[in-house]
Amino acid sequence: MLYNRLRVALRPAHLMIGAAAVAFTITSAHPAQADIKVGFQAPLTGFAATDGKSAKTAAEMAIDDINAAGGVLGQRLQLITYDDQAKSDQAIFTANKLIGEDGVKLVVNGSYSASGRAAAPVFQKAGVVMIAAYGVHPDITTAGDYMFRLVHLGPPQGRATALFVGKILGLKKVSAITMDNDYGQATMDGFLEAAPKYGIEVINKYSYSLKDRQFGSIVASVKRDNPDGIYATAYFFTGGPLVSQLRAAGIKAPIIGSQAFDSEKFIEIAGPAAEGTYIVDSFDRNRKDEALQHFFAEFQKRAGYAPEGVAAVTYSAVKLMADGIKRAGSADPVKVRDALAATKNFAMLEGNLNGFNSLHEIIMPISVNAIKDGKFQAAAQITDLDAFAPPER
Amino acid sequence: MYYIDLAVTGVSFGCMYAMMAVGLTLVYGLLRILHVAHAAVFALGAYVTVVVANATGSVDAGILAAIAITPLFGMAIYRMLYEPLLSYRPDVPMIASVGLLVLMQDAFRIVFGEQGVTFRTNTYGFTTFDVLGVAVNAVQIAIVVCAVVFFLGLHLFTTRTRIGVGWRATVSQPKIAASFGIDSIKVRYLNFAIGSALAAVAGGLVAMLNNLVDPVIGYVVSYKALAIIVLGGLGSVRGTLIASLVLGLVESYGTIFIGQWLDRDAIAFLALIALLMIRPQGFVGTRAA
Repeated sequence: MLYNRLRVALRPAHLMIGAAAVAFTITSAHPAQADIKVGFQAPLTGFAATDGKSAKTAAEMAIDDINAAGGVLGQRLQLITYDDQAKSDQAIFTANKLIGEDGVKLVVNGSYSASGRAAAPVFQKAGVVMIAAYGVHPDITTAGDYMFRLVHLGPPQGRATALFVGKILGLKKVSAITMDNDYGQATMDGFLEAAPKYGIEVINKYSYSLKDRQFGSIVASVKRDNPDGIYATAYFFTGGPLVSQLRAAGIKAPIIGSQAFDSEKFIEIAGPAAEGTYIVDSFDRNRKDEALQHFFAEFQKRAGYAPEGVAAVTYSAVKLMADGIKRAGSADPVKVRDALAATKNFAMLEGNLNGFNSLHEIIMPISVNAIKDGKFQAAAQITDLDAFAPPER
Repeated sequence: MYYIDLAVTGVSFGCMYAMMAVGLTLVYGLLRILHVAHAAVFALGAYVTVVVANATGSVDAGILAAIAITPLFGMAIYRMLYEPLLSYRPDVPMIASVGLLVLMQDAFRIVFGEQGVTFRTNTYGFTTFDVLGVAVNAVQIAIVVCAVVFFLGLHLFTTRTRIGVGWRATVSQPKIAASFGIDSIKVRYLNFAIGSALAAVAGGLVAMLNNLVDPVIGYVVSYKALAIIVLGGLGSVRGTLIASLVLGLVESYGTIFIGQWLDRDAIAFLALIALLMIRPQGFVGTRAA
């Protein structure tokens, strides 16, 4: 919040620098071609600032990498970043700024569902292409044809988890624990719906608040359930304490976590208790891939901590936008939109993106990681795409 | 066994709330201010504990440092924030207090990072005892022991020592106490010092239990502690203790019945609303007051 106020206060200074830059460009002997502006929204302050910072670092890295390789269509990309605090009002406010003040036509949204779904209709109406890096609310892509999403929706993630738990791990009785936000609930709904298909009986379902870090009563109840496995939706800051408290209570059943567990910090918080935890739709860090290794080293250097899924997908989102511009042969939003919709086999950091469906939801396999010796290790690939097909338009 | 597991959880929650809420009650009793920034004191206690523990390699040193440093912070809040505002309506210092809490949360974020800090060696946090099939964490035991020791000590202090009696007198009858020559300003500092030390211990222990100190660590306890002091009958230490334990147990046992639909915060606040409708004056307060 404070940061935001400072930004506003600094605005006249910005304008002056901008004016000076324009004057400089006009008078210089070889006028450079104008940059292609890419708008970027992320929660840089407030409760979601952890992810916002990762997203911003990753987006800046992607821009630098693209420009270092000569930019796109001979032009440099310029990232214009606004803090949306993961709040809908801030998202709409900054979306209008991007459109009105900055004249942005292409946007990467590195923010949460609540803010992403608020910004989506604003951009759609203005004919601005938006790639939501990791916002999982269904409303983002249903806002219209200029919207794209680079993560699996909650319900498909949940259905893939049911397949993994029932078919691959062969667990029959499961206790289910979910955080009480949109993403947690939607993912859990997908799991509960698909569970019977794979012979899973959900013994009990529990819900907790995102602000909670103490799960004593849920742990006691799970202990009584005596399940074959435990499925939990959580972020690392709730998942870490949850897993460590489950293990401290002597519960030995395998724990299967949702995508948002995916953070080195999870392992740090849960300590030895993290061993063996599965994370579904996690980002496979072991692939022998030069781009991935570069991303790891460079992110660690810039941020001071290892990148998590949020960082990887935001990086990929910016790269995909650049790829879309290149394939469109222009930064015109209509052409970029059509080029993105026609994406075939784009190499994301997380693996191969097969393409988008009619609703511009991704079609790609889901990786499962397990934690071994304090590290993320690839455990499985769920390739049965029909089992977790996203909804169509 | 299930019910005993839940009781262990409930009692340790309750003791943690009590350590947090008593500081609030004391400030309310003395100054009629809702000391919302007490949550920042709690968070500071947690940060000092984890930072000092990681620097020295000793979790005990961390807690001791928290007990030493946070009372200074608490007293500074009184001196620099509340004292200049005491002549205004009570909502003025309360709003200032909310402001300080928000400021501190962002300060923690800027200084210690968004990701939060974990213990390098969390000696007690990963130690669990199996008592006849009931898993009890070493930190849960520490929370209960600290609460009992502190409240017994507080009881002895306020009944057996001159300063303590003066303190109690000032809280219940400030004018009469002053006419007996008790220095009410000293009492206020004492009040903030002790309340802050208690919150710091609670913060440090919760930090160990979570193995994570993030900028929002004080958030949940802050509004829950406010509800507890209302339920306890504003300004009553005994009422606050009862309300804390009741809330801890309600949260814990509540999951049996409605854990499927509601998280424990929602259960706690449902119970609070219900209890306040039955006893609007709180557990200990009288209706007329």
